[in-house]
Amino acid sequence: MTIEQIVNATELTVKVAGRLDTTTAPELETFLKQSIEGVEKLILDFSELEYLSSAGLRILLTTQKAMNKQGEMIIKNINETINEIFEVTGFIDILTVE
Amino acid sequence: MKKQNKRRKLQNKVLRKFLLLAVVLILFIGFMVADRYINGAMDNYQTTAYSYTKSTAELIDGDKIAGYLETGEKDEYYNEIQEIMSIYRENTDIQEFCVFVPEENDYVYIWDIVAQGEASDLLEREKYREDEKEFAFSVFKQNPTEELKLFNDPTYGNIATAYSPVYDSQGKAVAVVGVGIYLTDLQENMGKFLGVVLLTILVVISIAMLLFYRFVKKRIVKPINTIRDASTSIVENLENEEPIQVSVNTGDEIEELFDSFKQMYGDVREYIHELGAVTAEKERIGAELDVAKHIQASMLPCIFPAFPDRKEIDIFASMDPAKEVGGDFYDFFMVDERHLAIVMADVSGKGVPAALFMVIGKTLIKDHTTPGRDLGKVFTEVNNLLCESNSEEMFITAFEGVLDLVTGEFVYVNAGHEMPFICKAGGDFEPYKIRHGFVLAGMEDMKYRAGSMTLEPGDKIFQYTDGVTEATNTQDELYGMERLGAILNKVKDKTPDEILPCVKEDIDRFVGEADQFDDITMLCLEYKEKMELKEEDEK
Repeated sequence: MTIEQIVNATELTVKVAGRLDTTTAPELETFLKQSIEGVEKLILDFSELEYLSSAGLRILLTTQKAMNKQGEMIIKNINETINEIFEVTGFIDILTVE
Repeated sequence: MKKQNKRRKLQNKVLRKFLLLAVVLILFIGFMVADRYINGAMDNYQTTAYSYTKSTAELIDGDKIAGYLETGEKDEYYNEIQEIMSIYRENTDIQEFCVFVPEENDYVYIWDIVAQGEASDLLEREKYREDEKEFAFSVFKQNPTEELKLFNDPTYGNIATAYSPVYDSQGKAVAVVGVGIYLTDLQENMGKFLGVVLLTILVVISIAMLLFYRFVKKRIVKPINTIRDASTSIVENLENEEPIQVSVNTGDEIEELFDSFKQMYGDVREYIHELGAVTAEKERIGAELDVAKHIQASMLPCIFPAFPDRKEIDIFASMDPAKEVGGDFYDFFMVDERHLAIVMADVSGKGVPAALFMVIGKTLIKDHTTPGRDLGKVFTEVNNLLCESNSEEMFITAFEGVLDLVTGEFVYVNAGHEMPFICKAGGDFEPYKIRHGFVLAGMEDMKYRAGSMTLEPGDKIFQYTDGVTEATNTQDELYGMERLGAILNKVKDKTPDEILPCVKEDIDRFVGEADQFDDITMLCLEYKEKMELKEEDEK
């Protein structure tokens, strides 16, 4: 898994590529915890994300809750597999997916 | 015995080296001393011999020689010279002192002063020894070299010889003054001298060797043996926790070695202590985790057949945990006489936190599933309760269904869990598209709504967790819904307790050598026949 970020004032774009599973999730969790302070608009670009496990979902949920207090979180460019995971788990209802 | 041998080894090594050194030293010194001695003596003889031959040659009147040769008669002058030469001979190392005239085949004595009774008389002739002739004639030339010549005589051994010419008034060489010094004495003396020198060296070296041997033994071998003994018993001492009691006080590198050995011993002891504590702690945690795993597993109903007196249903379920305690669980229970509930759930994450959360979730769901209660409301309430006690931001995907054994109505609610597979009697297993709610414990006040369908006798329902579809092989491929559907349909006519092992086997074959990351949990329910309501009522 690789993480790239683009900061634009209070807007933060994070591009996650590869597999987001139990082994890689803690890395993203630490990264997001440190980066979202003062961010009003968080954009997660999943165009190159191949796989997302429940550990990854948990991070999305935690981050979504945190962002609800300080702004908004948008998820972009999800592939078919991940869209299916969002639908099956009902995450599609609580996340903003574009 | 072995220890003795080892000690001797080092000492003997030193001793052998020392002996070799002594031999080399003795040979060298012996050779040098002998060489110096002989050269010194010879130089000395040469000076003495030539000073006598030259002074005698000057003393003798060369013109007289011809007369003696001719007449063979001694006169006053002859006797005078004889007297002087005798005095010379007696006061020096000279053994032979003579004046002779060299001729072609032999030489003719004029004067000959040797030991008593052996002297040759005037005009007596004698044969040349070896190269004596060349030497004698060589001194007749201009500026003869002043060199001692060694001649070997069968009676007297080596004789160092010096010749000087006697000149007549015309400056012509007419005779030779010869001096002979026997070297037997010299060699004897040198032998004695060498003996004394070598003996002294031998004594000095022996004493030095003995001292050094004792030094090596006391200051090197013994301390090393002490260290060796200490290190031999190190394990024993470590076990008994005894400190090192011996000491080495040589004040040199060996003491330093011993000190660092002691330091190492202390460090190792400390390290073992720590390691022991850490290992004990790890074992304790490991044991407790094992117990936790067992408790978790025993919370799932695992006695099959589960309802032996219920001919309406056949149910089988299994959970294969990954290495550590996980968060998967299944459950089934009779809500009342005619309603069977099945639950399949997966807590996000792994380990003890997930297991604890799973216990809460499982208990809450079972508690809230009461007869006649709407399943949507059950999940809505369970969700709110879970949210209250969810400091770790975990969540549960869960599916619950309640089957009315009389009517076959199957009411279900889904909180973000996988779609179940339904197999209609005579048909195939197919994923059953149901409405998905949000996961449990994710967010407060989520509303869950139940759905329903009707099962006919012979229908089967298969539910599972993502450990099945997301089982990964070494090429990072997922097992997936398609493979699952395929294997289910292959074994669809079997009973639930036969179907699950077949599916597990298929997953194992797919995964191969790769590690199992997630729990693999499955449940299969077959609705065999409708329940006769009348009998129940009569009861």
